[in-house]
Amino acid sequence: MLIKYVIKRIIILIPVLFGISIVLFTITKIMPGDQVRSMLPTNIRPEVYDQMYEAMFRRLGLDRPIYIQYFSWLYNFLFLGDFGYSSVFNRPVVDVISEPLKNTIILNLSVNFVYLLVALPVGIKMAVKRGSLFDNSWQVFSLAAFSIPSFFLALSLIFIFSVTLGWLPISGMPNTLFLEGWDLFVGWIRHLTLPVTTLVIISLAGAIRYIRNAMIDALSQDYIRTARSKGLSEKVVIYSHAFRNALIPISTIIVGVVFTLFAGAAITETVFAYNGIGRLLVQAVVARDRMLIISMNMLFAFVNVTAILAADIVYGLIDPRIKLK
Amino acid sequence: MSKSDNTAKKTGKSFLSMFKRLFVRDKVITNRLDEEAIRTPMKVIFLKLVRNKMAIIGFSLFMVNLLFAFIGSLIFPLNEVYIEITNRNLPPSRNFLNYPSELNDMNIVKIASGVSFSIALTDDGNLHVWGTESSVRLEGETSMIFDIPEEVQDAHIVDVVVGMRFVIVLDDEGNFYGWGEAAHNQTEIPSDIRRLMAVNRTTEIVKISAGAMWSSVLGNNGYLYLWGSFQAQNNYIVPYEAQGRIVDIASGENNMILLLDDGTVMPMGVRGTEFFENVPEELMDGSVNVVELVATNRNVIARDEQGNLYIWGSRIDGLHRFPEGFVPDKIIDIAAGLRNFIIVKENGEIIVWGAEELRQLNLPRGIEDSGVVRVFADMFQFYAVDEESNIVGAWGNRGYIFGSDENGRDIFTRLIHGGRVSLTVGVIAVVIATFIAVIIGLISGYFGGWIDHTLMRIADIFDALPFLPLVITLSFIIGDRLDQTQRLYFIMILLGVLSWTPLARLIRAQLLLEREKDFVLAAKALGIKQGGIMFKHILPNVFNFVIVSVTLSYASFILMESALSFLGFGIREPTPSWGNMLTSAQETMVIRHFWWRWIIPAIFLVAAALSINMVGDALREAMDPKSEER
Repeated sequence: MLIKYVIKRIIILIPVLFGISIVLFTITKIMPGDQVRSMLPTNIRPEVYDQMYEAMFRRLGLDRPIYIQYFSWLYNFLFLGDFGYSSVFNRPVVDVISEPLKNTIILNLSVNFVYLLVALPVGIKMAVKRGSLFDNSWQVFSLAAFSIPSFFLALSLIFIFSVTLGWLPISGMPNTLFLEGWDLFVGWIRHLTLPVTTLVIISLAGAIRYIRNAMIDALSQDYIRTARSKGLSEKVVIYSHAFRNALIPISTIIVGVVFTLFAGAAITETVFAYNGIGRLLVQAVVARDRMLIISMNMLFAFVNVTAILAADIVYGLIDPRIKLK
Repeated sequence: MSKSDNTAKKTGKSFLSMFKRLFVRDKVITNRLDEEAIRTPMKVIFLKLVRNKMAIIGFSLFMVNLLFAFIGSLIFPLNEVYIEITNRNLPPSRNFLNYPSELNDMNIVKIASGVSFSIALTDDGNLHVWGTESSVRLEGETSMIFDIPEEVQDAHIVDVVVGMRFVIVLDDEGNFYGWGEAAHNQTEIPSDIRRLMAVNRTTEIVKISAGAMWSSVLGNNGYLYLWGSFQAQNNYIVPYEAQGRIVDIASGENNMILLLDDGTVMPMGVRGTEFFENVPEELMDGSVNVVELVATNRNVIARDEQGNLYIWGSRIDGLHRFPEGFVPDKIIDIAAGLRNFIIVKENGEIIVWGAEELRQLNLPRGIEDSGVVRVFADMFQFYAVDEESNIVGAWGNRGYIFGSDENGRDIFTRLIHGGRVSLTVGVIAVVIATFIAVIIGLISGYFGGWIDHTLMRIADIFDALPFLPLVITLSFIIGDRLDQTQRLYFIMILLGVLSWTPLARLIRAQLLLEREKDFVLAAKALGIKQGGIMFKHILPNVFNFVIVSVTLSYASFILMESALSFLGFGIREPTPSWGNMLTSAQETMVIRHFWWRWIIPAIFLVAAALSINMVGDALREAMDPKSEER
């Protein structure tokens, strides 16, 4: 049943991906600038340059009709794993992307770890003690975190902890060439602290409210009253009865955050000069690196589609009542 | 809760109710009907909102922001392309012209001004500084304007000259001192210059002068010595034929003009400029005898023995000629700011023309009748002095209330106009997104079937689009071909078109519920057209959701625009927006030392988003029938 449902969802999402790929391909085609010229050296004689231009033009397949170009690109992308060649980094796109992708995943996992560690207990306690000082102060926190742009939060953290107190590095990455073992680990922690804090605070804003409301809904159900009247301890009622039911809506946002952070961290990564995939995209766009831009956008689209799919599947897994239509 | 707490609350309540009964007439419920009167949902929502402190605070804060941006931009017009690089990075203050009152009991010999400070020399040889520190205290050895060195305080000063951010002085024994921000060592005479002075047998300094980043001394035997930086202009070489014949020098920031002992003048500076090339012939060929030279940065006024005036130089600011109707007689003083000329006449009349952006032309009231004999002008601060050498009026640049940015622009004005841009972009984007969402949501939810299916697949595509990467890519690639205004619209449309899906889904889901209700059936039975049912009967029921969503997403659009502009993909300079005003905060120097350049715009941005979110939250609470439980 579930497998059928998943397959159905995937079939629905395939045209979505097609649509996106067409949009992205069009963007790279209307991009100003000459794709061939950006890949050729400039300090050569005109006749040689013309020859090389002609050769490169053919090699990139620009002499073929546009729809053939599209399909051959898509074929290479999907089946050969050939993402093209980055004109700015002078390396295959796959090589360019791999290192930042790894860094972003590290950042992403750290953020999710910390944020779940905070959001779940806080959200639950807010719901249980609603109206209390604890609840209200976290509500205020959530409102404030909603209203602060992430880059300003990042700058403020840099100002306080790096510039004024000097505890942490202002930006950048740990030096993987010279550090190893424990030192490298400490280096990671030191460089990750501020970006992770920024992203955690931003993500917490929505999450704690969502968890709180889900918990309140769960706590107001009849089976909670039944559980209480049976004389179960409050702990059992909250964690075993209410939280399990609240998990259904909560699971979707957890899945959501895991994936949105991929592209959503672009601003934070840029401010902290963290060599992640979001920052790479900003660099690629500024440098007009066609293949890098299109490949990364495709990658982000894939991630998004996977996120939607994953949320659906998790939903179906957790809640047996959901009809798989 | 403890008992004492309880009593405290009770007393508080009774006090409050007493106060209310005393001063505010409570509405007395006269009968049961009033008490149980049916209230319309709108009224209930409104009452809930008015009673909610958050809503009121948020709303007021937002209105303040709105007035600041929209009314403010009417009062303080912005010239987007105006820059005054000289005045860059000045901290917030309004005291540039606040001279100390004790100066009125002393005899002022000279007042010189830097970018944000002025320094007065009194006839007892002492210096008095006021205004605002122009340099930031970097680690270690930075010399600040307000820390006058010990030996200068002890010496009897006879002349003081201010460069942009440094001061040089001469004492009665001919000693040269200097302090302030001097990246090119303008504040002390370098050893090679001293050696040169010895070779040329210059024994005494008769005049000192300074510009943006250079200083010069004029020796008693007519030799001029220059050092410092001229920003890639090679005018530190004094023409050989002039050396030994120089009697006076007038200078702006980078150009200067020499007065020679035969009464002719010789310009120095960038060849090809009007300052250099347009010198009147008669001043060079010796047919007239020049006695006085006054120079702004790009213009000169020369006066000959007969009292004739000659003016030339750049057309910028209209300083290449005298103002219309000007009669050159009975002149007692000529002064030059950086971009202004000031002429004082015998009857106390003051004529000032040139640039006006820093209120240089706004003469203080009543100054014509106070017997002004002299005006001290340097950069943008002008001081008028009467015969008893009392300052009778000061005008020009008072300072920047929120400081100035890296191009010397007033952050306050840019903040106002940036606010207008940011708030407008948010509104239009939200209107576009809501419009699309309502249309698609209504159609999808009402008709259902294959229409619903198709529309929701389209929504799926939009959901799967990577929002931030796509916005960055599109705004850079397409936005690059647009001019500033088109770009503004493009950003609005882009944000709007890419973010309608959540609201559309919400409306659709709500509609699926509403459509099964009896009143729709009744409307159908009455033969009302589908469109009518949709807009008149169903839409009002989902209106609440739309309102809340509009408010909350307005705040997020403002933040999104600011983030894009911050990264350089949104609104671009010189059009200000709250986001792009923060772009420079990515430099450590700015974070560390120029706090006003990033904290102040950020406060406004956060205040706007916060106030809107507060209202949105309150609205949601007021409209949610279950909110009492939460």
